[in-house]
Amino acid sequence: MGKSMLGRSVPGNSILHRTDARIKFIAAILMMVATLSIRDVRVMALFLVWTILLMAVSRIRPGIILRSVRPIVVIILFAVILHLLTVEGRVLVQIGSLKITEEGLLSGLMTALRLSLMIINTSLLLTLTTTPLAVADALESLLSPLRYLKFPVHEFAMMMSIALRFVPTLMDEAVKIMKAQSSRGANYDTGGLLKRAGGLVSILVPLFVSSFRRADDLAVAMDARCYRGEQGRTRLYAAKLTMADVMFLAVAVLLLVFALVSRQLLPSLGGLLGSTLSVF
Amino acid sequence: MCDTVIEFQNVSFSYGAMQGQRPIEAVRQLSFSIEKGSYVALIGRNGSGKSTIARLMNGLLLPDQGLVMVDGRLTADDDSIYEIRRQCGMVFQNPDNQIIGTTVKDDVAFGPSNLGLPAEEIMRRVDESLAMTGLLDLKERPPHELSGGQKQKLAIASVLAMRPGCIILDEATAMLDPVARRDVMALIGELRKQHGITMVQITHHMEEALTADYVHVISDGGIAFSGTPADVFDQVYRVKSEGLSVPAHLEIARLISERAGVGYDREEIISFEGAVRFVNRVMENHLTGHINECVVKPRFDESRPAVVEVTDLSYSYPAAGGPPIEALRSVSMTVRQGEILGIAGHTGSGKSTLIQHLNGLIPAHKGHVIVLGHDLSEKKEIRQIRPQVGLLFQYPEDQLFEETVALDIAFAPKQQKRSPEEVERAVLRAAGRLGIESILDRSPFELSGGQRRRVAIAGVLAAEPAIVILDEPAAGLDPAGRDDLFKDLLTLSAEGATLIIVSHDMEMMTRYADRILVLKGGGVAGIGTPSEIIASAQFLDQAHLDMPAPKRFLDALADEYKDLDTSCFNVGDAATALLSAKRRAPHG
Repeated sequence: MGKSMLGRSVPGNSILHRTDARIKFIAAILMMVATLSIRDVRVMALFLVWTILLMAVSRIRPGIILRSVRPIVVIILFAVILHLLTVEGRVLVQIGSLKITEEGLLSGLMTALRLSLMIINTSLLLTLTTTPLAVADALESLLSPLRYLKFPVHEFAMMMSIALRFVPTLMDEAVKIMKAQSSRGANYDTGGLLKRAGGLVSILVPLFVSSFRRADDLAVAMDARCYRGEQGRTRLYAAKLTMADVMFLAVAVLLLVFALVSRQLLPSLGGLLGSTLSVF
Repeated sequence: MCDTVIEFQNVSFSYGAMQGQRPIEAVRQLSFSIEKGSYVALIGRNGSGKSTIARLMNGLLLPDQGLVMVDGRLTADDDSIYEIRRQCGMVFQNPDNQIIGTTVKDDVAFGPSNLGLPAEEIMRRVDESLAMTGLLDLKERPPHELSGGQKQKLAIASVLAMRPGCIILDEATAMLDPVARRDVMALIGELRKQHGITMVQITHHMEEALTADYVHVISDGGIAFSGTPADVFDQVYRVKSEGLSVPAHLEIARLISERAGVGYDREEIISFEGAVRFVNRVMENHLTGHINECVVKPRFDESRPAVVEVTDLSYSYPAAGGPPIEALRSVSMTVRQGEILGIAGHTGSGKSTLIQHLNGLIPAHKGHVIVLGHDLSEKKEIRQIRPQVGLLFQYPEDQLFEETVALDIAFAPKQQKRSPEEVERAVLRAAGRLGIESILDRSPFELSGGQRRRVAIAGVLAAEPAIVILDEPAAGLDPAGRDDLFKDLLTLSAEGATLIIVSHDMEMMTRYADRILVLKGGGVAGIGTPSEIIASAQFLDQAHLDMPAPKRFLDALADEYKDLDTSCFNVGDAATALLSAKRRAPHG
């Protein structure tokens, strides 16, 4: 309970942990675009190697990293099956009207890799090796140009980090209230949709009330610790960029460029594959 | 001249004055000061104005009239407010609602970051503060993985990182179990001794006020009386009339002194050891009478039918990235109709998991739970049993949600599809039992904490359950509120309901329960009458429970006297037992 993926960073002191959160943030976005644009299976293999390298460098148990893929396993399977059954090409197996083609197999594999690598890269860079506060600080720093448009950048980042901090607390609280109301005879698993929605009131109202109380308490606690917005505040994780940070970013940019260029230059392996532009 | 850290001059403060509502006066005409390096306790009932005074101390609230000065600076002065808050750090009651960072480290860094210190300095202070509070190993942990005691220590560490001269603890131990409370208190004492930090503690745990240099009794937004702990607690009637209590060793010593006609030195009996020494000395010269035994509640009639039977119940839940955690290990127990069963145990001993099995919130998978003849391993049986078993979690006031008190209490009987007249009758009956008939039309959200607690309990009683289970029903209430609530629960029991009360408070449990079940690490460590359960200090210690003070006092003297009946649950009995005991003949 309360063990959501959100805000679950794994402590460590690897190169990846020490890399500037802003760099990791940008790199995560670059990698996402790159994995989405790869068409060639050899380039995908290269990205697979890169991801495995990142995993090794992070010194986090592979089991923990792979767990981040778990929530989307169903989506991946669905996409793979869709590809297997719909892509035309050289038939490998045929059962009745169902045909599995070589091209279908390949594009299914590509899709599975594309989605998994995207998730693994993002969670490795942003959730597993970076504390939520560092992410919030990075976001604040990256969004800072928006200040000129009067966007409350600091407040936005602070809100995000506090929200992350309270996710587990509120989840525990919701469970507790639900159990308390069940003990008073509330029944949340039978009855029509309307009745069930009505039942939610007995959970949501106390949850809202307690969230407001918590927000009040927290505001006072922040005041008591001299919080006065961003004015005069040290941004802990907005340290100066090191050479390693710049190198890391350079590698990420190179990979993206390579992925984009390969679309144009490399002859496509699976004939129809190139036309599969969508994520699936 | 800065011998005083905090000074109040004629301070008054009202809530609601700004919003144009009828102002509620919380502090009136208050003047007092706190000396640098001292340890001051503010004690008083719930709602006496203690917390408001605390918040006036570091400018979280500003006085309507009068002045508050910290280290010679005015809290009303905008230019000094941040220096004042740095100087006077504050630790609050609820461990969850004061942690801002998403990791221990980030939380400690929050204050110093606000001060604009260089990052390296902040990191140095983070390590330093975590080392001072013994949390260095938890540096990278997210706060929700910490225990209550660790969270409060983290809050202290976060204040320390701002290098304060003074720490204000606003009921900082109120939500902790006894073990964690002692732990935090020890830390506070150490910080004061080693670093000379001024400590202002707001509490209604009288034991915590005993070690203070000075005690202010707060009542109606002002100081009712003050003095050294010895001065204050010597005025037993005055303290009690403020809804507070006097530590048991003091009361026993005073009773002995009164009955033996021997004067006492109040500085001596303020400590537990001193009180024992004093009593021993008095008894040396005192004639002994006949043997008198403590009044023990008559043993509960064991021929009554069993309403709850738990046999060989085990339960474990999966843990993230580890082996499953065993919450219950083959627990067996029987509760008889009309009995009051206490369940005691340290945090994480399985109390909460056990009671959730008793109304089927957790279905029994391994072992059997039979409640009023229904086997709770079956889902349809659970549905039938729910209205019969009322279960109240800790801080049940958090579950209120209706517009009025009456509607909220009516929730449970309405779920039972009773007729409107019947629902109304049930509501009135439940409200009457808890003395809240007069507030039925009010919104539960505008009541005091104690009243809301009563509304929540009434909301469970309205279903007219045969078995009522309460988890720490008196948590957070002041001594008088605690006594009142237990008395109401006793009448419920007298009317035939079976009560199961979960609590750390061994003094209350021994006084009210027929039997006590002690859980330890998910298993049953012992079950028996209160006298049997508290017979061995070692047994309680191993279960991380506190020995009730009267028994602890008598145990300290047991070696000196033969036939001393030490199983007394209240101070009057303890004094009587002492006066009638015979001194053991000198060895030889």
